Amino acid sequence: MGYFLRRTGFFVATLWAAVTLNFLIPRLQPGDPAEAIVSRLTGKSEAVDPRQVEAIRRLLGTPDGSLLTQYWDYLGELVHGNFGLSYTYFPYTVTEVIGDAALWTVVLVGVTQILSFVIGTLLGAWAAYRRNSRVDSVITLGSTFVGTLPFFWIALLLIYVFAITLQWFPDGGGYGGGSTPGWSWLFFSDAFQHSVLPALSLLITGPIGWIIGMRNNMVQELGQDYARLARAKGLPQRRIALTYGARIAILPNVTGFAIALGSILGGTVLVETIFNYPGLGRLLLESVSNKDFPLMQALFLFTTIGVLVANFVADLLYGVLDPRVRRTEAA
Amino acid sequence: MALLEVTDLSVTYSPRDSAQVRAVDGVTFSVEEGEFVGLLGESGCGKSTLGNAVLRLLEKPAAISGGRIVFDGRDITEASEDELRPLRWVDLSTVFQSSMNSLNPVITVREQFADCFAAHEEAAGRGLDVDERAGELLEMVSLPRDVLRRYPHELSGGMKQRVALALALALRPKFVLLDEPTTGLDVVVQREILDRLAELREELGFAVLFISHDLGTVVEMADRVLVMYGGELVEDQPADAIVHDHLHPYTAGLMGSYADPRDEHVEVAFIPGRPPDLSRSHEGCLFAPRCPVAVDACESEHPELLPAGRGEARCLLVEWAVADGVPARKAAPVDQLDAVFAADASPRGAADGEPVLVVDGAGKTYKVRRGGKSTSVRAVHDVSFALRPGRVTALVGQSGSGKTTIARMITGVERPSDGTVRFGSTDVGSLGRRALRGYRRHVQLVFQDPFSALNPTRTVAYAISRPLRNHLGLGKQDARARAGELLETVGLSPAAQYLDKLPHQLSGGQRQRVVIARALASEPEVLVADEPISMLDVSIRAEIVALLDRLVRERGIAMLYITHDLLSARLLADEVMVLNQGEMVEHGPTMEVIREARDPYTRKLLAAIPHPGAPRPGGAQTAGPAEVATPALP
Repeated sequence: MGYFLRRTGFFVATLWAAVTLNFLIPRLQPGDPAEAIVSRLTGKSEAVDPRQVEAIRRLLGTPDGSLLTQYWDYLGELVHGNFGLSYTYFPYTVTEVIGDAALWTVVLVGVTQILSFVIGTLLGAWAAYRRNSRVDSVITLGSTFVGTLPFFWIALLLIYVFAITLQWFPDGGGYGGGSTPGWSWLFFSDAFQHSVLPALSLLITGPIGWIIGMRNNMVQELGQDYARLARAKGLPQRRIALTYGARIAILPNVTGFAIALGSILGGTVLVETIFNYPGLGRLLLESVSNKDFPLMQALFLFTTIGVLVANFVADLLYGVLDPRVRRTEAA
Repeated sequence: MALLEVTDLSVTYSPRDSAQVRAVDGVTFSVEEGEFVGLLGESGCGKSTLGNAVLRLLEKPAAISGGRIVFDGRDITEASEDELRPLRWVDLSTVFQSSMNSLNPVITVREQFADCFAAHEEAAGRGLDVDERAGELLEMVSLPRDVLRRYPHELSGGMKQRVALALALALRPKFVLLDEPTTGLDVVVQREILDRLAELREELGFAVLFISHDLGTVVEMADRVLVMYGGELVEDQPADAIVHDHLHPYTAGLMGSYADPRDEHVEVAFIPGRPPDLSRSHEGCLFAPRCPVAVDACESEHPELLPAGRGEARCLLVEWAVADGVPARKAAPVDQLDAVFAADASPRGAADGEPVLVVDGAGKTYKVRRGGKSTSVRAVHDVSFALRPGRVTALVGQSGSGKTTIARMITGVERPSDGTVRFGSTDVGSLGRRALRGYRRHVQLVFQDPFSALNPTRTVAYAISRPLRNHLGLGKQDARARAGELLETVGLSPAAQYLDKLPHQLSGGQRQRVVIARALASEPEVLVADEPISMLDVSIRAEIVALLDRLVRERGIAMLYITHDLLSARLLADEVMVLNQGEMVEHGPTMEVIREARDPYTRKLLAAIPHPGAPRPGGAQTAGPAEVATPALP
């Protein structure tokens, strides 16, 4: 039990540190965002009018008071999920903007990540089970080869073949001009059509890491004394492969998987840019190029929290799956 | 018909990118129902490969390349995995080398029993109560039933090995293969497990093939002993004949490495040289290059395994003797082996000389924090002794007794919590980082495991020149020259041949010599040797002991020799200290401590030493079948 308590304590402490850094870093940066906006609006050559700056400040709701009160207010706003207004998508709030985009990303990337993990682990385990056979060579060599291809190149190739030449699928966007987002069959099938190519590009490269990792871990496990003893015990092949191989080999991958899920929020810039997909990655890129501070800050915070939560879940899961960890920590 | 009949069995490793190795070559032997057969040999002689072949557990790139294995009248040489499965564990089970790793780490002990019951429902009996049966089995090996709920990492090495033994006997097999079942365990624990094994065999009557490099244990436990060298059997004799009437010179060499430390005069022999490279073909006798009594014919004529004495032997000299009708005599009595190291009473340093290092009332307490509570663990308590130039002090104790903590305090890695460690006039415990660096020039370490003590990516010259450059400030050229001299000193000559080698190109004994050369590099006054021979093959251990002895004599080094092996302590040390649970329980001149041990722990250590030829604890010594099968020669 001590293990889980300690992990929870660890999680809370890191979360607090992340939230606090997110508050401090923008305040340590030189320059005043209001002045920056005014000078951008008016052009660099002219002097900044203090009244304009004041007006922008009011508009943005720039905080005042001591750093401590600011910090306290900041924590309060966070708890209520209030991140302020987006500059780019004014008058929408940051929470609304992110909420819209998050759904697209989570569905597309979440589903493909899970599928990648499942496919990769199964293929890796199969290759290890039939190690040094033709199946193993095909899987290992094939995935190593695909792994050398740049992701964006595969994505562009998919667009060229399936969107431009064959015209089976649209070449970008989350949904077509003809449909409006809503709970309608038409919209769903349209969105699905649009998601096929990005999903496919993610699914081609996604499982490779899991395949190689799983195969190598499991080959190693199957070479251990306990796997040899399991054979000597006359256990059925499948029981050996699952309980004495896969069950142990999957452990390091579980952590990897949880972290991969956590980084969905920040790690999809490339695919969303190529396919012009209305998700978080594209939003992040936009917020950076538009100097949309509230949006940027919220996105960074979400990414951090995502990774932290994922790590936390991975730790807990690891504690359940691997009895050794609980004990080693206690010792 | 014997239970297990192995005929002309060969196993070949065919790695993808290097030459084929014939690890087992034309081996023929049998194990009768209920017989206990020992298989003795050094690392790399093919004994484990043979064991795996018998169990049909070989994996690529190893494969059976000839011969037959017949178990209980059934040829299993070519049997498929599906055909073997019903046989496995029901009839043939095994305990592996280092059972530290032979239990699945993520499932409980109970599940490891349950899955073998489930896989063999017929043999285990339907509707069997797993907890009840597995509990009984654990009690059989003297473990409490609640071990069932534990995970392997929660058990000590000895407990794991008992679980492995209970597991092997779970389905009452006819044959159990034990592959170095107690190697790496503490001597006392080893003794307990072997005694229990002997009793269980008496009770259950299973046959055993016991693979080990530990001659004392094999000879004591087995009815009959097979000796393997270079992938071949070189001798097969009843156990008592192996002790007194062994024929092959290699067996003589192995026998020579064993002695009772309590004897008045103790000497051990060793076999210079290295085992043959099995990836090349050899013409004559494989042992000829290392054999002290080899004649010209041995270089060209490959001997056969022929009846001799009360069993068989593979040696031309023995063959000729038998052919001439004279009694098969020993080809090489121990005293004909030229490489012998004897415990020498001749004084080295003076017993009352000025001590170079004094440990005075030293203790070490570790604080262990678990959750919010902190408990203190006393690793070492109130230990005092002095190291004098040219003298060896042995520190004996089982694992966990605090031996290593003392070594760490002497080398300055740990500070004593009580008392002092003084080197000349310096208090080692109070040295700062910089001063410690200087201090380490005077106190050097030889590690237990020569395989991990050297950086695998650096050459021998580099390893030895580091201390030369760091401590003595030698330039690159000078350091290399000195490294060469040091290699010659430790017997690696010509040095030029070794300087640019990487550790993996050397044998275990050679590596340990490099480690010793490195420790000598900074010309230390004190050498701490932490079990320097326990990982080495029996036939070369004495060689390293002789080297250490010579260095102590020639260089006047004060040595702390840490070990759990009383024989090497007897050979090397002037005085012996026995440590038990952090306290020194015995301290005195070597002969006195070993021959008139007073402390119960010291007695236990002595009792744990195998006695070849003595009656086994399980019951009376039974005559080996070979004795009956072969007509005794006059």
